[in-house]
Amino acid sequence: MRAYLKIAQKSFRNNLVFRAEYFAALLNTIVTILVNLAIWRAIYEEEGGLDNLQFSLIVTYVILALALFQIFTMDEYVIEKKIKSGLITSDLLKPLSFRLHLFSFHFGALLYRIVLLLIPTLLLYSLVYRVLPPFSIEMFLCFLLSVILGYFVMYSLNFIVWLSAFWFYKTFSLVTIKDTAVLVLSGAVIPLWFMPQQLVHFIKLTPFDTIFFIPISIYLGQIPMDQLLFSLLRQVIWITVLGLIGHVLWKLATRRLIVQGG
Amino acid sequence: MYPLRLFLKYFQLTLKVTLQYKFDRVLIAAAVMIREMAGVIILILMLNRFVMIKGWQIDEILFLYSFLFLSYSLFVFFFTGIRDFEDLVYSGEFDRFLVRPVGILFQVIASKVDYTAALGHGVLGIILLQKTASQLGIEWTASGILFYILMLLGGALIQASIFMIASTFCFWTVRTTNLRNMLFFNSRKIAAYPLSFYPGLIQKFLIYVIPFGFVNYFPAQYFLKKPEMNEFWSGFMFLNPVVAAVLFALVCLVWNYGLKHYSSTGNALY
Repeated sequence: MRAYLKIAQKSFRNNLVFRAEYFAALLNTIVTILVNLAIWRAIYEEEGGLDNLQFSLIVTYVILALALFQIFTMDEYVIEKKIKSGLITSDLLKPLSFRLHLFSFHFGALLYRIVLLLIPTLLLYSLVYRVLPPFSIEMFLCFLLSVILGYFVMYSLNFIVWLSAFWFYKTFSLVTIKDTAVLVLSGAVIPLWFMPQQLVHFIKLTPFDTIFFIPISIYLGQIPMDQLLFSLLRQVIWITVLGLIGHVLWKLATRRLIVQGG
Repeated sequence: MYPLRLFLKYFQLTLKVTLQYKFDRVLIAAAVMIREMAGVIILILMLNRFVMIKGWQIDEILFLYSFLFLSYSLFVFFFTGIRDFEDLVYSGEFDRFLVRPVGILFQVIASKVDYTAALGHGVLGIILLQKTASQLGIEWTASGILFYILMLLGGALIQASIFMIASTFCFWTVRTTNLRNMLFFNSRKIAAYPLSFYPGLIQKFLIYVIPFGFVNYFPAQYFLKKPEMNEFWSGFMFLNPVVAAVLFALVCLVWNYGLKHYSSTGNALY
Protein backbone atom coordinates (compact mmCIF):
# COMPACT_ATOMS: atom_id res chain seq x y z
CA MET A 1 0.00 0.00 0.00
CA ARG A 2 2.79 2.41 0.95
CA ALA A 3 4.52 1.77 -2.35
CA TYR A 4 1.40 2.68 -4.31
CA LEU A 5 0.91 5.86 -2.31
CA LYS A 6 4.51 6.77 -3.06
CA ILE A 7 3.91 6.23 -6.77
CA ALA A 8 0.84 8.47 -6.67
CA GLN A 9 2.79 11.10 -4.76
CA LYS A 10 5.63 10.96 -7.27
CA SER A 11 3.26 11.31 -10.18
CA PHE A 12 1.60 14.29 -8.45
CA ARG A 13 4.96 16.01 -7.96
CA ASN A 14 6.10 15.12 -11.45
CA ASN A 15 3.25 17.16 -12.82
CA LEU A 16 4.16 20.09 -10.60
CA VAL A 17 7.57 20.41 -12.23
CA PHE A 18 6.28 21.53 -15.59
CA ARG A 19 5.04 25.04 -14.86
CA ALA A 20 4.60 26.15 -18.47
CA GLU A 21 2.57 23.06 -19.22
CA TYR A 22 0.42 23.73 -16.19
CA PHE A 23 -0.47 27.24 -17.30
CA ALA A 24 -1.15 26.03 -20.83
CA ALA A 25 -3.55 23.41 -19.44
CA LEU A 26 -5.29 25.89 -17.13
CA LEU A 27 -5.69 28.42 -19.90
CA ASN A 28 -6.94 25.68 -22.19
CA THR A 29 -9.66 24.71 -19.72
CA ILE A 30 -10.74 28.30 -19.19
CA VAL A 31 -10.79 29.15 -22.89
CA THR A 32 -12.65 25.99 -23.89
CA ILE A 33 -15.40 26.77 -21.39
CA LEU A 34 -15.50 30.42 -22.44
CA VAL A 35 -15.96 29.53 -26.10
CA ASN A 36 -18.68 27.01 -25.40
CA LEU A 37 -20.53 29.45 -23.18
CA ALA A 38 -20.30 32.13 -25.89
CA ILE A 39 -21.94 29.75 -28.37
CA TRP A 40 -24.72 28.80 -25.94
CA ARG A 41 -25.23 32.49 -25.22
CA ALA A 42 -25.65 33.16 -28.92
CA ILE A 43 -28.22 30.36 -29.10
CA TYR A 44 -30.20 31.56 -26.09
CA GLU A 45 -30.12 35.19 -27.21
CA GLU A 46 -31.85 33.92 -30.31
CA GLU A 47 -34.58 32.45 -28.14
CA GLY A 48 -34.64 35.56 -25.91
CA GLY A 49 -34.18 33.49 -22.78
CA LEU A 50 -30.91 34.73 -21.34
CA ASP A 51 -32.32 35.39 -17.86
CA ASN A 52 -34.34 32.27 -17.33
CA LEU A 53 -33.48 29.16 -15.41
CA GLN A 54 -32.84 27.14 -18.54
CA PHE A 55 -29.84 29.28 -19.39
CA SER A 56 -28.38 29.03 -15.87
CA LEU A 57 -28.91 25.30 -16.09
CA ILE A 58 -26.96 25.02 -19.30
CA VAL A 59 -24.21 27.34 -18.04
CA THR A 60 -23.76 25.18 -14.95
CA TYR A 61 -23.87 22.05 -17.06
CA VAL A 62 -21.24 23.26 -19.52
CA ILE A 63 -18.85 24.49 -16.83
CA LEU A 64 -19.11 21.28 -14.81
CA ALA A 65 -18.94 18.97 -17.81
CA LEU A 66 -15.92 20.59 -19.42
CA ALA A 67 -14.09 20.98 -16.10
CA LEU A 68 -14.67 17.29 -15.35
CA PHE A 69 -13.70 16.40 -18.90
CA GLN A 70 -10.36 18.14 -18.42
CA ILE A 71 -9.54 16.34 -15.19
CA PHE A 72 -10.62 12.96 -16.57
CA THR A 73 -8.06 13.17 -19.37
CA MET A 74 -5.23 10.73 -18.82
CA ASP A 75 -1.84 10.07 -20.31
CA GLU A 76 -3.00 7.52 -22.89
CA TYR A 77 0.36 6.24 -24.02
CA VAL A 78 1.96 4.95 -20.80
CA ILE A 79 1.59 1.27 -21.70
CA GLU A 80 2.42 1.80 -25.35
CA LYS A 81 5.65 3.61 -24.45
CA LYS A 82 6.58 0.92 -21.96
CA ILE A 83 6.09 -1.82 -24.52
CA LYS A 84 8.02 0.09 -27.15
CA SER A 85 10.96 0.76 -24.86
CA GLY A 86 10.82 -2.68 -23.29
CA LEU A 87 10.55 -1.17 -19.81
CA ILE A 88 7.38 -3.16 -19.26
CA THR A 89 9.44 -6.27 -18.52
CA SER A 90 11.14 -4.68 -15.52
CA ASP A 91 7.78 -3.36 -14.33
CA LEU A 92 6.27 -6.83 -14.52
CA LEU A 93 9.16 -8.25 -12.53
CA LYS A 94 8.63 -5.84 -9.66
CA PRO A 95 6.84 -7.29 -6.62
CA LEU A 96 3.94 -4.92 -7.30
CA SER A 97 0.75 -5.38 -9.22
CA PHE A 98 1.30 -3.64 -12.53
CA ARG A 99 -2.32 -2.61 -12.82
CA LEU A 100 -2.35 -1.02 -9.37
CA HIS A 101 0.96 0.60 -10.16
CA LEU A 102 -0.57 2.09 -13.30
CA PHE A 103 -3.65 3.21 -11.45
CA SER A 104 -1.62 4.90 -8.72
CA PHE A 105 0.25 6.80 -11.39
CA HIS A 106 -2.99 8.07 -12.90
CA PHE A 107 -4.47 8.71 -9.50
CA GLY A 108 -1.61 11.05 -8.60
CA ALA A 109 -2.14 12.94 -11.82
CA LEU A 110 -5.88 13.09 -11.11
CA LEU A 111 -5.32 14.63 -7.67
CA TYR A 112 -3.01 17.17 -9.25
CA ARG A 113 -5.68 18.10 -11.77
CA ILE A 114 -8.37 18.37 -9.12
CA VAL A 115 -6.33 20.69 -6.91
CA LEU A 116 -4.70 22.82 -9.57
CA LEU A 117 -7.13 22.76 -12.49
CA LEU A 118 -10.62 21.90 -11.33
CA ILE A 119 -10.83 24.09 -8.23
CA PRO A 120 -9.37 27.28 -9.79
CA THR A 121 -11.56 26.88 -12.87
CA LEU A 122 -14.74 26.37 -10.87
CA LEU A 123 -13.92 29.30 -8.57
CA LEU A 124 -13.23 31.59 -11.50
CA TYR A 125 -16.42 30.73 -13.34
CA SER A 126 -18.64 30.84 -10.28
CA LEU A 127 -17.51 34.46 -9.87
CA VAL A 128 -18.19 35.40 -13.49
CA TYR A 129 -21.36 33.42 -14.24
CA ARG A 130 -24.43 32.50 -12.30
CA VAL A 131 -23.60 28.89 -11.50
CA LEU A 132 -26.42 27.01 -9.85
CA PRO A 133 -25.69 25.40 -6.48
CA PRO A 134 -26.32 21.65 -6.11
CA PHE A 135 -29.99 20.74 -6.14
CA SER A 136 -29.83 19.59 -2.51
CA ILE A 137 -27.25 18.33 -0.04
CA GLU A 138 -28.29 14.70 -0.56
CA MET A 139 -28.03 15.17 -4.31
CA PHE A 140 -24.60 16.71 -3.88
CA LEU A 141 -23.40 13.64 -2.00
CA CYS A 142 -24.89 11.40 -4.69
CA PHE A 143 -23.15 13.60 -7.26
CA LEU A 144 -19.77 13.07 -5.60
CA LEU A 145 -20.32 9.32 -5.51
CA SER A 146 -21.45 9.36 -9.11
CA VAL A 147 -18.41 11.37 -10.23
CA ILE A 148 -16.12 8.80 -8.64
CA LEU A 149 -18.03 6.00 -10.36
CA GLY A 150 -17.86 7.96 -13.62
CA TYR A 151 -14.11 8.20 -13.29
CA PHE A 152 -13.86 4.44 -12.89
CA VAL A 153 -16.02 3.85 -15.97
CA MET A 154 -13.71 6.13 -17.93
CA TYR A 155 -10.64 4.45 -16.50
CA SER A 156 -11.77 0.91 -17.26
CA LEU A 157 -12.72 1.93 -20.78
CA ASN A 158 -9.34 3.59 -21.28
CA PHE A 159 -7.54 0.59 -19.85
CA ILE A 160 -9.03 -1.67 -22.51
CA VAL A 161 -7.89 0.71 -25.24
CA TRP A 162 -4.41 0.99 -23.74
CA LEU A 163 -4.09 -2.80 -23.62
CA SER A 164 -4.57 -2.97 -27.37
CA ALA A 165 -0.93 -1.83 -27.53
CA PHE A 166 0.02 -5.43 -26.74
CA TRP A 167 -1.41 -6.49 -30.09
CA PHE A 168 -1.13 -3.41 -32.33
CA TYR A 169 1.96 -1.64 -30.85
CA LYS A 170 0.50 1.70 -31.97
CA THR A 171 -2.67 2.87 -30.30
CA PHE A 172 -3.05 6.40 -31.69
CA SER A 173 -5.97 5.60 -33.99
CA LEU A 174 -7.90 3.58 -31.41
CA VAL A 175 -7.30 6.19 -28.71
CA THR A 176 -8.46 8.94 -31.05
CA ILE A 177 -11.61 7.09 -32.03
CA LYS A 178 -12.37 6.36 -28.36
CA ASP A 179 -11.79 10.02 -27.43
CA THR A 180 -14.15 11.12 -30.17
CA ALA A 181 -16.84 8.72 -29.04
CA VAL A 182 -16.52 9.93 -25.47
CA LEU A 183 -16.55 13.58 -26.49
CA VAL A 184 -19.73 13.27 -28.53
CA LEU A 185 -21.71 10.60 -26.71
CA SER A 186 -20.89 11.23 -23.06
CA GLY A 187 -22.57 14.60 -22.87
CA ALA A 188 -19.24 16.32 -22.26
CA VAL A 189 -20.12 19.12 -24.67
CA ILE A 190 -23.85 18.82 -25.28
CA PRO A 191 -26.32 17.56 -22.68
CA LEU A 192 -28.22 14.51 -23.81
CA TRP A 193 -31.52 16.31 -23.49
CA PHE A 194 -30.68 18.28 -26.66
CA MET A 195 -29.99 15.17 -28.69
CA PRO A 196 -32.45 13.39 -30.96
CA GLN A 197 -34.46 10.67 -29.20
CA GLN A 198 -33.03 7.79 -31.24
CA LEU A 199 -29.49 8.80 -30.46
CA VAL A 200 -30.31 8.98 -26.76
CA HIS A 201 -31.78 5.47 -26.89
CA PHE A 202 -28.58 4.27 -28.47
CA ILE A 203 -26.38 6.07 -25.94
CA LYS A 204 -28.32 4.52 -23.07
CA LEU A 205 -27.09 1.14 -24.28
CA THR A 206 -23.47 2.25 -24.06
CA PRO A 207 -21.32 3.21 -21.07
CA PHE A 208 -20.63 6.70 -22.40
CA ASP A 209 -23.39 8.68 -20.70
CA THR A 210 -22.45 7.20 -17.32
CA ILE A 211 -19.16 9.11 -17.43
CA PHE A 212 -20.30 12.73 -17.41
CA PHE A 213 -24.00 12.99 -18.08
CA ILE A 214 -25.29 11.02 -15.08
CA PRO A 215 -23.18 12.78 -12.42
CA ILE A 216 -24.01 16.25 -13.70
CA SER A 217 -27.71 15.47 -14.11
CA ILE A 218 -27.70 14.37 -10.48
CA TYR A 219 -26.03 17.62 -9.45
CA LEU A 220 -28.68 19.62 -11.28
CA GLY A 221 -31.50 17.50 -9.86
CA GLN A 222 -32.56 16.43 -13.33
CA ILE A 223 -32.84 12.76 -12.44
CA PRO A 224 -36.04 11.85 -10.58
CA MET A 225 -35.67 10.07 -7.23
CA ASP A 226 -36.94 6.72 -8.53
CA GLN A 227 -34.40 6.68 -11.35
CA LEU A 228 -31.48 7.80 -9.23
CA LEU A 229 -30.65 4.38 -7.91
CA PHE A 230 -30.97 2.86 -11.36
CA SER A 231 -28.54 5.44 -12.78
CA LEU A 232 -25.95 4.71 -10.11
CA LEU A 233 -26.49 1.02 -10.69
CA ARG A 234 -25.82 1.45 -14.40
CA GLN A 235 -22.48 3.01 -13.54
CA VAL A 236 -21.58 0.09 -11.29
CA ILE A 237 -22.62 -2.42 -13.93
CA TRP A 238 -20.47 -0.77 -16.56
CA ILE A 239 -17.48 -0.65 -14.24
CA THR A 240 -17.92 -4.39 -13.64
CA VAL A 241 -18.37 -5.24 -17.31
CA LEU A 242 -15.52 -3.10 -18.59
CA GLY A 243 -13.35 -4.14 -15.66
CA LEU A 244 -13.92 -7.81 -16.47
CA ILE A 245 -13.08 -7.30 -20.14
CA GLY A 246 -9.94 -5.45 -19.09
CA HIS A 247 -9.04 -8.26 -16.72
CA VAL A 248 -9.39 -10.97 -19.35
CA LEU A 249 -7.46 -8.93 -21.93
CA TRP A 250 -4.73 -8.30 -19.39
CA LYS A 251 -4.35 -12.02 -18.71
CA LEU A 252 -4.18 -12.71 -22.45
CA ALA A 253 -1.78 -9.83 -23.07
CA THR A 254 0.78 -10.72 -20.45
CA ARG A 255 0.84 -14.28 -21.70
CA ARG A 256 1.84 -13.24 -25.21
CA LEU A 257 4.02 -10.21 -24.48
CA ILE A 258 6.43 -9.43 -27.28
CA VAL A 259 8.88 -6.65 -26.61
CA GLN A 260 10.59 -4.75 -29.39
CA GLY A 261 14.05 -4.05 -28.09
CA GLY A 262 14.81 -3.17 -24.52
CA MET B 1 14.15 23.76 -62.36
CA TYR B 2 16.49 21.95 -60.01
CA PRO B 3 14.55 22.85 -56.79
CA LEU B 4 11.32 21.57 -58.32
CA ARG B 5 12.93 18.28 -59.33
CA LEU B 6 14.35 17.94 -55.86
CA PHE B 7 10.98 18.71 -54.34
CA LEU B 8 9.38 15.97 -56.42
CA LYS B 9 12.10 13.56 -55.34
CA TYR B 10 11.42 14.41 -51.69
CA PHE B 11 7.72 14.04 -52.38
CA GLN B 12 8.30 10.53 -53.71
CA LEU B 13 10.40 9.62 -50.69
CA THR B 14 7.92 10.86 -48.10
CA LEU B 15 5.16 9.04 -49.93
CA LYS B 16 7.17 5.83 -49.79
CA VAL B 17 7.79 6.32 -46.08
CA THR B 18 4.08 6.77 -45.50
CA LEU B 19 3.10 3.76 -47.57
CA GLN B 20 5.53 1.56 -45.65
CA TYR B 21 2.86 0.91 -43.04
CA LYS B 22 -0.25 0.97 -45.18
CA PHE B 23 -2.71 -0.45 -42.69
CA ASP B 24 -1.56 1.76 -39.84
CA ARG B 25 -1.64 4.89 -41.97
CA VAL B 26 -5.10 4.18 -43.34
CA LEU B 27 -6.30 3.68 -39.78
CA ILE B 28 -4.71 6.95 -38.68
CA ALA B 29 -6.26 8.85 -41.59
CA ALA B 30 -9.65 7.40 -40.68
CA ALA B 31 -9.15 8.27 -37.01
CA VAL B 32 -8.20 11.85 -37.85
CA MET B 33 -11.25 12.15 -40.05
CA ILE B 34 -13.53 10.78 -37.34
CA ARG B 35 -12.01 13.12 -34.75
CA GLU B 36 -12.54 16.14 -36.96
CA MET B 37 -16.02 14.98 -37.87
CA ALA B 38 -16.86 15.12 -34.16
CA GLY B 39 -16.60 18.91 -34.30
CA VAL B 40 -19.09 18.97 -37.14
CA ILE B 41 -21.45 16.52 -35.44
CA ILE B 42 -21.39 18.52 -32.20
CA LEU B 43 -22.12 21.68 -34.14
CA ILE B 44 -25.08 20.05 -35.86
CA LEU B 45 -26.43 18.57 -32.61
CA MET B 46 -26.18 21.94 -30.90
CA LEU B 47 -27.82 23.95 -33.63
CA ASN B 48 -30.22 21.63 -35.40
CA ARG B 49 -33.18 22.75 -33.28
CA PHE B 50 -33.01 26.20 -34.81
CA VAL B 51 -33.56 27.43 -38.31
CA MET B 52 -31.24 30.35 -37.72
CA ILE B 53 -28.89 31.52 -35.02
CA LYS B 54 -28.03 35.21 -35.11
CA GLY B 55 -28.98 35.21 -38.76
CA TRP B 56 -26.87 32.21 -39.65
CA GLN B 57 -28.21 29.03 -41.20
CA ILE B 58 -26.49 25.84 -40.18
CA ASP B 59 -25.27 25.27 -43.75
CA GLU B 60 -23.61 28.66 -43.74
CA ILE B 61 -21.74 27.82 -40.55
CA LEU B 62 -20.64 24.51 -42.04
CA PHE B 63 -19.50 26.35 -45.16
CA LEU B 64 -17.36 28.44 -42.82
CA TYR B 65 -16.00 25.21 -41.38
CA SER B 66 -14.98 23.87 -44.78
CA PHE B 67 -12.38 26.62 -45.13
CA LEU B 68 -10.75 25.42 -41.92
CA PHE B 69 -10.49 21.81 -43.04
CA LEU B 70 -9.27 22.50 -46.55
CA SER B 71 -6.72 25.13 -45.57
CA TYR B 72 -5.43 22.92 -42.75
CA SER B 73 -5.15 20.06 -45.22
CA LEU B 74 -3.07 22.25 -47.52
CA PHE B 75 -1.01 23.43 -44.58
CA VAL B 76 -0.03 19.95 -43.44
CA PHE B 77 0.63 18.97 -47.01
CA PHE B 78 3.28 21.64 -47.41
CA PHE B 79 4.41 22.55 -43.90
CA THR B 80 4.49 19.41 -41.76
CA GLY B 81 8.23 19.93 -41.36
CA ILE B 82 7.51 23.21 -39.65
CA ARG B 83 4.81 21.73 -37.47
CA ASP B 84 7.18 18.99 -36.26
CA PHE B 85 10.24 21.20 -36.26
CA GLU B 86 10.87 20.57 -32.58
CA ASP B 87 11.53 16.85 -33.13
CA LEU B 88 13.95 17.74 -35.88
CA VAL B 89 15.98 19.98 -33.60
CA TYR B 90 15.94 17.86 -30.47
CA SER B 91 16.81 14.64 -32.26
CA GLY B 92 19.80 16.38 -33.82
CA GLU B 93 18.64 15.61 -37.34
CA PHE B 94 18.49 19.30 -38.11
CA ASP B 95 22.28 19.48 -38.04
CA ARG B 96 22.44 17.37 -41.16
CA PHE B 97 20.30 19.90 -43.00
CA LEU B 98 22.85 22.59 -42.26
CA VAL B 99 25.64 20.92 -44.18
CA ARG B 100 23.69 20.20 -47.35
CA PRO B 101 24.00 22.56 -50.31
CA VAL B 102 20.27 23.37 -50.48
CA GLY B 103 18.19 26.00 -48.68
CA ILE B 104 17.50 25.02 -45.10
CA LEU B 105 13.87 26.07 -45.04
CA PHE B 106 13.40 24.22 -48.32
CA GLN B 107 14.64 21.01 -46.71
CA VAL B 108 12.53 21.48 -43.60
CA ILE B 109 9.43 21.93 -45.69
CA ALA B 110 10.16 19.20 -48.23
CA SER B 111 11.43 16.52 -45.88
CA LYS B 112 8.15 15.72 -44.21
CA VAL B 113 4.53 15.41 -45.27
CA ASP B 114 1.76 14.27 -42.97
CA TYR B 115 -0.31 12.55 -45.64
CA THR B 116 -2.71 11.01 -43.17
CA ALA B 117 -3.77 14.38 -41.72
CA ALA B 118 -3.87 15.98 -45.15
CA LEU B 119 -6.16 13.20 -46.36
CA GLY B 120 -8.36 13.15 -43.25
CA HIS B 121 -8.95 16.90 -43.22
CA GLY B 122 -9.06 17.20 -47.00
CA VAL B 123 -11.74 14.59 -47.59
CA LEU B 124 -13.90 16.01 -44.85
CA GLY B 125 -13.44 19.54 -46.18
CA ILE B 126 -14.42 18.55 -49.69
CA ILE B 127 -17.53 16.71 -48.49
CA LEU B 128 -18.59 19.70 -46.41
CA LEU B 129 -17.89 22.20 -49.17
CA GLN B 130 -19.72 20.18 -51.76
CA LYS B 131 -22.77 19.66 -49.53
CA THR B 132 -23.07 23.19 -48.20
CA ALA B 133 -22.23 25.04 -51.41
CA SER B 134 -24.96 23.27 -53.35
CA GLN B 135 -27.36 23.69 -50.41
CA LEU B 136 -26.67 27.42 -50.27
CA GLY B 137 -26.80 27.81 -54.04
CA ILE B 138 -23.38 29.36 -54.34
CA GLU B 139 -22.59 29.96 -57.98
CA TRP B 140 -19.09 29.00 -58.93
CA THR B 141 -17.96 31.58 -61.40
CA ALA B 142 -14.36 31.52 -62.58
CA SER B 143 -13.49 34.45 -60.34
CA GLY B 144 -15.25 32.78 -57.41
CA ILE B 145 -13.24 29.59 -57.78
CA LEU B 146 -10.04 31.56 -58.13
CA PHE B 147 -10.92 33.57 -55.04
CA TYR B 148 -11.67 30.43 -53.04
CA ILE B 149 -8.38 28.77 -53.98
CA LEU B 150 -6.44 31.94 -53.25
CA MET B 151 -8.09 32.16 -49.84
CA LEU B 152 -7.20 28.54 -49.07
CA LEU B 153 -3.58 29.15 -49.98
CA GLY B 154 -3.54 32.30 -47.87
CA GLY B 155 -5.19 30.44 -45.02
CA ALA B 156 -2.61 27.67 -45.17
CA LEU B 157 0.17 30.25 -45.14
CA ILE B 158 -1.33 32.09 -42.15
CA GLN B 159 -1.48 28.83 -40.21
CA ALA B 160 2.06 27.99 -41.28
CA SER B 161 3.22 31.35 -39.95
CA ILE B 162 1.69 30.65 -36.56
CA PHE B 163 3.50 27.32 -36.38
CA MET B 164 6.71 28.78 -37.68
CA ILE B 165 6.89 31.54 -35.11
CA ALA B 166 6.55 28.88 -32.42
CA SER B 167 9.25 26.75 -34.05
CA THR B 168 11.64 29.69 -33.95
CA PHE B 169 11.86 29.31 -30.19
CA CYS B 170 13.56 25.93 -30.71
CA PHE B 171 16.71 27.78 -31.73
CA TRP B 172 16.95 29.04 -28.19
CA THR B 173 15.97 25.61 -26.83
CA VAL B 174 12.71 26.88 -25.41
CA ARG B 175 9.85 24.43 -25.63
CA THR B 176 6.63 26.10 -26.66
CA THR B 177 4.76 23.18 -28.20
CA ASN B 178 2.07 23.07 -25.55
CA LEU B 179 1.46 26.79 -25.60
CA ARG B 180 1.43 26.76 -29.40
CA ASN B 181 -1.02 23.89 -29.60
CA MET B 182 -3.24 25.57 -27.06
CA LEU B 183 -3.27 28.89 -28.90
CA PHE B 184 -3.60 27.36 -32.33
CA PHE B 185 -6.21 24.69 -31.75
CA ASN B 186 -8.34 26.84 -29.49
CA SER B 187 -8.31 29.63 -32.07
CA ARG B 188 -9.30 27.09 -34.65
CA LYS B 189 -12.16 25.88 -32.48
CA ILE B 190 -13.35 29.45 -32.00
CA ALA B 191 -13.13 30.12 -35.73
CA ALA B 192 -15.49 27.22 -36.44
CA TYR B 193 -18.40 29.51 -35.50
CA PRO B 194 -19.05 32.99 -36.91
CA LEU B 195 -17.04 35.72 -35.20
CA SER B 196 -20.22 37.64 -34.43
CA PHE B 197 -21.17 34.92 -31.91
CA TYR B 198 -18.40 36.07 -29.60
CA PRO B 199 -17.74 39.05 -27.36
CA GLY B 200 -15.61 41.85 -28.83
CA LEU B 201 -12.43 40.80 -27.08
CA ILE B 202 -12.41 37.36 -28.66
CA GLN B 203 -13.22 38.89 -32.07
CA LYS B 204 -10.24 41.25 -31.79
CA PHE B 205 -8.05 38.35 -30.71
CA LEU B 206 -8.94 36.41 -33.87
CA ILE B 207 -8.31 39.43 -36.07
CA TYR B 208 -5.17 40.98 -34.63
CA VAL B 209 -3.41 38.37 -32.49
CA ILE B 210 -4.00 34.92 -34.02
CA PRO B 211 -5.52 36.03 -37.34
CA PHE B 212 -7.82 33.06 -37.86
CA GLY B 213 -10.61 35.43 -38.86
CA PHE B 214 -8.85 35.83 -42.18
CA VAL B 215 -8.68 32.09 -42.73
CA ASN B 216 -12.41 31.54 -42.89
CA TYR B 217 -14.77 34.21 -41.53
CA PHE B 218 -13.85 37.13 -43.78
CA PRO B 219 -13.23 35.16 -46.99
CA ALA B 220 -16.56 33.37 -46.52
CA GLN B 221 -18.32 36.74 -46.49
CA TYR B 222 -17.44 37.11 -50.15
CA PHE B 223 -19.78 34.21 -50.88
CA LEU B 224 -22.35 34.59 -48.11
CA LYS B 225 -22.69 38.39 -48.07
CA LYS B 226 -23.97 38.63 -44.50
CA PRO B 227 -25.33 42.01 -43.36
CA GLU B 228 -23.28 41.71 -40.17
CA MET B 229 -20.15 42.33 -42.25
CA ASN B 230 -21.01 46.04 -41.93
CA GLU B 231 -19.58 45.94 -38.44
CA PHE B 232 -16.14 45.31 -39.92
CA TRP B 233 -14.17 47.14 -42.53
CA SER B 234 -15.29 45.66 -45.85
CA GLY B 235 -11.69 45.40 -47.05
CA PHE B 236 -11.14 42.60 -44.53
CA MET B 237 -12.85 40.33 -47.05
CA PHE B 238 -9.93 40.57 -49.44
CA LEU B 239 -7.13 41.00 -46.93
CA ASN B 240 -6.32 37.31 -46.52
CA PRO B 241 -3.45 37.14 -49.06
CA VAL B 242 -1.96 40.37 -47.71
CA VAL B 243 -2.10 39.15 -44.13
CA ALA B 244 -0.61 35.83 -45.21
CA ALA B 245 2.22 37.38 -47.20
CA VAL B 246 3.17 39.99 -44.61
CA LEU B 247 2.95 37.54 -41.74
CA PHE B 248 4.97 34.88 -43.51
CA ALA B 249 7.65 37.36 -44.58
CA LEU B 250 7.97 38.68 -41.04
CA VAL B 251 8.12 35.21 -39.56
CA CYS B 252 10.78 34.19 -42.09
CA LEU B 253 12.91 37.14 -40.98
CA VAL B 254 12.61 36.09 -37.34
CA TRP B 255 13.32 32.48 -38.30
CA ASN B 256 16.51 33.44 -40.13
CA TYR B 257 17.55 35.55 -37.19
CA GLY B 258 16.99 32.61 -34.87
CA LEU B 259 18.93 30.30 -37.17
CA LYS B 260 22.04 32.44 -36.66
CA HIS B 261 21.75 31.81 -32.94
CA TYR B 262 21.34 28.09 -33.29
CA SER B 263 23.79 25.87 -31.53
CA SER B 264 23.25 22.17 -31.88
CA THR B 265 21.77 20.07 -29.11
CA GLY B 266 24.69 17.83 -29.92
CA ASN B 267 23.15 14.39 -30.02
CA ALA B 268 22.31 13.13 -33.44
CA LEU B 269 20.28 9.99 -32.93
CA TYR B 270 20.77 8.68 -36.42
